[in-house]
Amino acid sequence: MNPTSLPPALHFTPPAAANRVEPGRPVIGVRGLDFFYGPAQVLFGIELQVREREILALIGPSGCGKSTFLRCLNRMNDTIPGAHARGLVEIDGHNIYAPHTNVIGLRRKVGMIFQRSNPFPFSIAENVAYGLKINGLAKNRSERMARIESSLRAAGLWDEVKDRLNKPALSLSGGQQQRLCIARALAIEPEILLMDEPASALDPITTTRIEELALELKTRYTIVIVTHNLQQAARISDRTSFFLMGRVVETDSTQRMFTNPSRKETEDYITGRFG
Amino acid sequence: MASLNPALSTLPLAAPRRRAWRRRIFDACGWGLCGLAFLCLGAATVWILATVVLHGLGALNWKMITQGTVGTGGGLMNAIEGTLILALGGIALALPPGLAAGIYLAEFDTGWLAPVIRFFSDVLVGVPSIVIGYFGYVTLVEDLGWGFSAAAGGIALAIIALPYITRGSEMAIRQVPREMRDAAYALGASDSRVVMSITVPLALPGVLTGVLLALAIAVGETAPLLYTAGWSNFLWNGHLIQEPVGYLTYAIWAFITEPFASAHALAYAAALLVTGFVLVISIFARLALDENTGWRRRMRG
Repeated sequence: MNPTSLPPALHFTPPAAANRVEPGRPVIGVRGLDFFYGPAQVLFGIELQVREREILALIGPSGCGKSTFLRCLNRMNDTIPGAHARGLVEIDGHNIYAPHTNVIGLRRKVGMIFQRSNPFPFSIAENVAYGLKINGLAKNRSERMARIESSLRAAGLWDEVKDRLNKPALSLSGGQQQRLCIARALAIEPEILLMDEPASALDPITTTRIEELALELKTRYTIVIVTHNLQQAARISDRTSFFLMGRVVETDSTQRMFTNPSRKETEDYITGRFG
Repeated sequence: MASLNPALSTLPLAAPRRRAWRRRIFDACGWGLCGLAFLCLGAATVWILATVVLHGLGALNWKMITQGTVGTGGGLMNAIEGTLILALGGIALALPPGLAAGIYLAEFDTGWLAPVIRFFSDVLVGVPSIVIGYFGYVTLVEDLGWGFSAAAGGIALAIIALPYITRGSEMAIRQVPREMRDAAYALGASDSRVVMSITVPLALPGVLTGVLLALAIAVGETAPLLYTAGWSNFLWNGHLIQEPVGYLTYAIWAFITEPFASAHALAYAAALLVTGFVLVISIFARLALDENTGWRRRMRG
C-alpha cells in the first residue's frame, strides 16, 4: 500500500504489536449505562466489555463523556453532588451500582491514575504507604517497606528514588510524580487500573516512559486508559473504544479501528476531520 | 540603532506639555494620599506602642513578674498566670467544636444546615463582647452558681474564639486542592479517613493561623471576663469554680484610674505584657506559617 494514500494519523506502524496477548475473560461488563450530572444526561446506554489484561483505550473529542465513563468504573463520580448512574456495571460479576456495594473495596480493586499527577505533600515513602495504611495491608514495618519497594520497582521509579525515600514527593519531576502516583495505586494491589490521560501534562520523552510502563503493567493488570492522543492509543492499546457525545460509537481491536473503522464517524475522527 | 518596527520609531515619546503636567499633578496627588495614609497608620501604631513600651519598661521589673498583687501594689504574677489559663483554656474549649464546624462547612456543605451554621457564626462575631460577659454572668456565675471562676471566664473566652476558629478552619480546609481528596478516595479511603488523614493535616497551617488569631483576641479581651472571671490577688488554686482568677487586662482597667503610683505601675506593666503577648503570637504565626520559612516549605521540598 502506498503510504501517501493513508490518512495522516496512520503514518506509523504500531510498535507494540509483539506485546499483544490473546484477549482474556471479560472483567468489566457495562450494559445500558446512563449517567447524569443532576438533570443533565451525559452518558447514554453505554455497552462495553473490558477483558482481562488488555489495554482498552477510550478516545473521542473533549466533552464526549470518556472521563465521566472512566470515573463510573470506580464510582469516583459519587463525590460529585447530584451525580447518579442508571444501568449495569459489572466488575468480576458484581454490579457495582447495586445497593450496599462496598465502594471502598471497589476502589481498592480498581485503582486510578489522574490527569494531573497528585502526590500528597508527604515523603515519597509515605505516598506509597498511604493506601497500605488506610486499608491495613501491611502488618509491620518490614512488610510495608517490601511493598513500597516492589510498587516503586513496578512503576519503574525505584532506582531513581531509593536513596531519598524520605524526601518530599513534590521535589520529584513531573514524570516521576506521575510514576509515583502509579506506584501508590499499585501498592494496594488492584486488579484494574483506570488512567485518565495520564501523560497529557508530560513532555514526549516522559510520555514514552509512561507508555512503556503501561505495556509492562498490562502483563499483570487490566488497564482502561482515556487519551486524547490517537498515536498513544494506537501504540499501547489492544482495543479502542470511540466515544462521541455521550455514546459509544464503536469498539474494536485497535489495529482494525485505525486501519479500517466500520463507522463513518470513527473514520472522520481518526483522520482528523473533526475533534 | 534602527528600530525593528518602523511604526514604533515614529511614535512621539514625549506627550504634549499640557497633558504631561496634568499627569504629574495626578501622580503627586496619588503619592501624597498614599503617604498621608501611611503616616496616619504608622503614627497611630508608633504612638500606641511608644506609650505602652515607655511606660511599661519603667514599671516592669523582676518583682513585677514573680510576685502577686498586694492591694494596689506588688506584682502581676497572678494576672500573668490567669491570662494564660483563661486564654489557653478558652481556646482548648473552642478548638474541638470550631474545627468540627469548619470541617463540616468546608467538606459537607450540601444541606440546609451549613448556611445556618455560617449565619450563626457570623452573628457571634458581631455580638459585643460585653454582652457575652453579661450572658456568662447571668447563666454561669449566677444561675449555675459557679461564682467568678476560671470555668466561667474560660467559657466566655471560648464563645469569643469559636467563630474565628470555625471560619479559619473552613477557609483553610477549602484551600486543600480537590486532587488530594480524589487521590485518597481513589485509594479506598472513606470520608472520615480523607478528612483525618489528608484534608485536616494539609489544612493545619491555615487552621493554626485561625487558632493563633483567636488566641491573640482571647489574651486581649476584657469585657467578657469582667463579669465571669472576677479578680484575685493570688495564684490559681486549681479550682474550676467558686475561685476568681486575675488577668492582665483587668489590671489595666482597674489600676490605671487609681491615684497611686504603684497602681499605675501595675497597669503600665500589664499593658506592656498583653501587647507583648499578642505581638509574639502574631510574629510566631507569621514565621511558622510563612510560605517560605515555615513548615509549608518542608512539604514542598
